Amino acid sequence: MGDTKQYPEIRKRLTPGWWTHNRRYANYMVREWTSLFVALYSLLIIYGLSLWFNGSETDFLNFLKNPAIIGFSIVALFFTMYHAVTWFYLLGAVAPVKIGRSHTKPWQALILNLVLLVIISYVAIWIAILR
Amino acid sequence: MKTETHKVARLHALLWGIFSLGGMIAAFLLPVLIYLTAIAYPYSLWPFNGTKNPGFLITGHTLGALFLFVTVAGSLFHGIFRFQSVLTEVGLQKYRRGLEAVGYFIIFAGIIILGYYLATWYLNGTIT
Repeated sequence: MGDTKQYPEIRKRLTPGWWTHNRRYANYMVREWTSLFVALYSLLIIYGLSLWFNGSETDFLNFLKNPAIIGFSIVALFFTMYHAVTWFYLLGAVAPVKIGRSHTKPWQALILNLVLLVIISYVAIWIAILR
Repeated sequence: MKTETHKVARLHALLWGIFSLGGMIAAFLLPVLIYLTAIAYPYSLWPFNGTKNPGFLITGHTLGALFLFVTVAGSLFHGIFRFQSVLTEVGLQKYRRGLEAVGYFIIFAGIIILGYYLATWYLNGTIT
């Protein structure tokens, strides 16, 4: 109760490849590494906007049409979707909703969130481009 | 000492809270932004099969610029925060402080630069 003495934290030393020994850990690590593409794409857009800011809108549009940028962006879209889908599944696993006597399953959260993703994407396009 | 610990804990909670919010933004808004800029525009697909282009995100409506800012800033925070954290889990734990410093620098520099561009365009009438 009154013991305020600080004890050293003992941590098991992990090797850099600790996550390769177990499939769940490997899946976790793959998911976490996809965040790199989320970050890089964001930086890419900021760089593209800097071309517009310091030059013209055409510079930004030409940048978007560069084959290397298109290629990288499509790869980034693939990993971003992987990141999103695993996130949706995790939400269902971490915070299941109780309905009656049963709890929702992770795959139900995944489907619900994918439907939401389509709706939100359409609304974003409508607000930003179509109206 | 205790107050200091509480302050650090609060800061950690805040940063992880923003990280989670950024995760939701990256999951729900980033795919559509990538589709618009990397697929729809270069290949003239909907909604850019007419006269509009991604520049319309800035020039078309304030909400378009807001969508761009929220999506890019949230995704940048989420992506860098998670990536610098994951590097410490693959053998770079002893460089944690340095990685955090570089990570936060990239996050805040990126968000400030993006905000500066959009604010300037808003003030000079480019964003209508």
